[in-house]
Amino acid sequence: MKKSVIILNNVSLYFPKVIGFLSLVRNFFTKKNTRFNALKRVNLEVKSGEVFGLIGKNGSGKSTILRVISGIYPPDDGECMVVGKISLLAGIGTGFSPHQTGVENALLYGSILGHNEKAMTDKLDEIIEFSELGDFINQPIRTYSAGMKARLGLAVASAIEPDILLIDEVLGVGDPQFREKSKKRILDLVSRTGTVVIVSHSFGLMKEICDRVGVVHKGHLVMIGSPEEAISTYYELTGGIS
Amino acid sequence: MDEATPHTEPVEVGLKPSLFKAPFYTLKQSFNNKFLIRNLVRRELRGRYRNSVLGYTWTFIEPSLLAVVYYFLFYMLAGNPDELYAVWVLVGIIIWGCFGKSLQATVTSLTGNKNTIHLVYFPRIVFPVTTVIGNIVLTLMSCIVVFPIILIFDLPFTHHLLLIPISIFLAGFLAIGLGILLAPLNCIYRDIEHFIRFVVRAGFFVSPVMWTYEMALDRGMFGEAAMFNPMLTPITLARHGLEGKASTLPHEVIIFSVLFGLIMWIIGSILFEKFERQAVKYL
Repeated sequence: MKKSVIILNNVSLYFPKVIGFLSLVRNFFTKKNTRFNALKRVNLEVKSGEVFGLIGKNGSGKSTILRVISGIYPPDDGECMVVGKISLLAGIGTGFSPHQTGVENALLYGSILGHNEKAMTDKLDEIIEFSELGDFINQPIRTYSAGMKARLGLAVASAIEPDILLIDEVLGVGDPQFREKSKKRILDLVSRTGTVVIVSHSFGLMKEICDRVGVVHKGHLVMIGSPEEAISTYYELTGGIS
Repeated sequence: MDEATPHTEPVEVGLKPSLFKAPFYTLKQSFNNKFLIRNLVRRELRGRYRNSVLGYTWTFIEPSLLAVVYYFLFYMLAGNPDELYAVWVLVGIIIWGCFGKSLQATVTSLTGNKNTIHLVYFPRIVFPVTTVIGNIVLTLMSCIVVFPIILIFDLPFTHHLLLIPISIFLAGFLAIGLGILLAPLNCIYRDIEHFIRFVVRAGFFVSPVMWTYEMALDRGMFGEAAMFNPMLTPITLARHGLEGKASTLPHEVIIFSVLFGLIMWIIGSILFEKFERQAVKYL
């Protein structure tokens, strides 16, 4: 039997609301709670070597689950435990600086994603080659088109090899050829990485690569099952054509 | 068994060692993330003076121009000041500027990086550390202005000049301690950053920027009170260093300032580590 590498035990998460002075005083007397309950007692175990998908409507809490696993938000209740090094791919190109060159930004983004200097210098050539930027790699990236920036970001992001990979809607950038190429690269990364949790609205992709899929609805992890079951549950819950 | 994923026991995400270790733990984390910090500092420096002809020379043009203005102001108010007065004001502006900018940038370091914080996780102490290092580097650059001053005013060129960089580090250190104390709170109520902007403006006059330690000594009670300003030490040390003499500042004043910085760092890092995780939910 394979070991669980991600364990979420009754995880609840609240987002506080920032309120003004008057309502602060009023709430103090009325004991009214203005917190937003983003995750409600989520239980999840992901086994080693598994590709796990999460689907759900916008704002249902899929990304929040990934952020709890990666350590961005601490759970207010329950516990979240993991085995190994985690990497979260979300919002390709976080922290890009428009005034620095492609190479400098590749190093910057790589270090933001948690690579050390040696790993980045080793992988730099491969990243430059994959991004297909040619001579632009030594130009400041304010001169880049949106697609070029995304290509550079994806090239850096997919060069990593963590124990657990969390992917949040990062596919679908660039032109069709690059999209195909990047999908292949992500799939390659998925097969190389031990454990993957992926959030996506692309149900075709989910059916293709996921072993199990969970449906998130209004902060609850409603069900976990095979991709087909999960997708039909999703349509039952949210209404809409099946 | 898969080689790539060594099977160990599950650990709780984001678990931190005892809060009493925070002052050292944060230092260790900053050291472990030095590649990241270096890249972030570079980003900050590159972004600062982009699209300007004079570029980094602005780091000392700005304080020099201010010093000229204050010289005339003081000339009008008090009449004939010391001929080196403009130099002392310039040194004051540079050192105070390092403290003020570092403090403001540290307090806003979490709120200003909210996009990054939402999308990736790395130890958040990296943000304030980066911004203070960036400000210290810029301030050190502005110190090039010291060399023409030495020539123009015929000051001695001695090893006491080393007091200038030491003062800059002390000013940065005083700023980061206070800044990380307030940074998580600023995520919840932005009132903090508005208040700190006031503190930096007011502190400019309360600290020996337009006046000097020697002037304060002649003022009895007022001079005594000024000794309790932790910024008195870095500004005065830098001035004495430029003058090329061993500092006449009493030891207890220097020790007070350094101790103040250390205590702020200890309290600040403990509170920062305790509250940053909850505070980022407000962003």
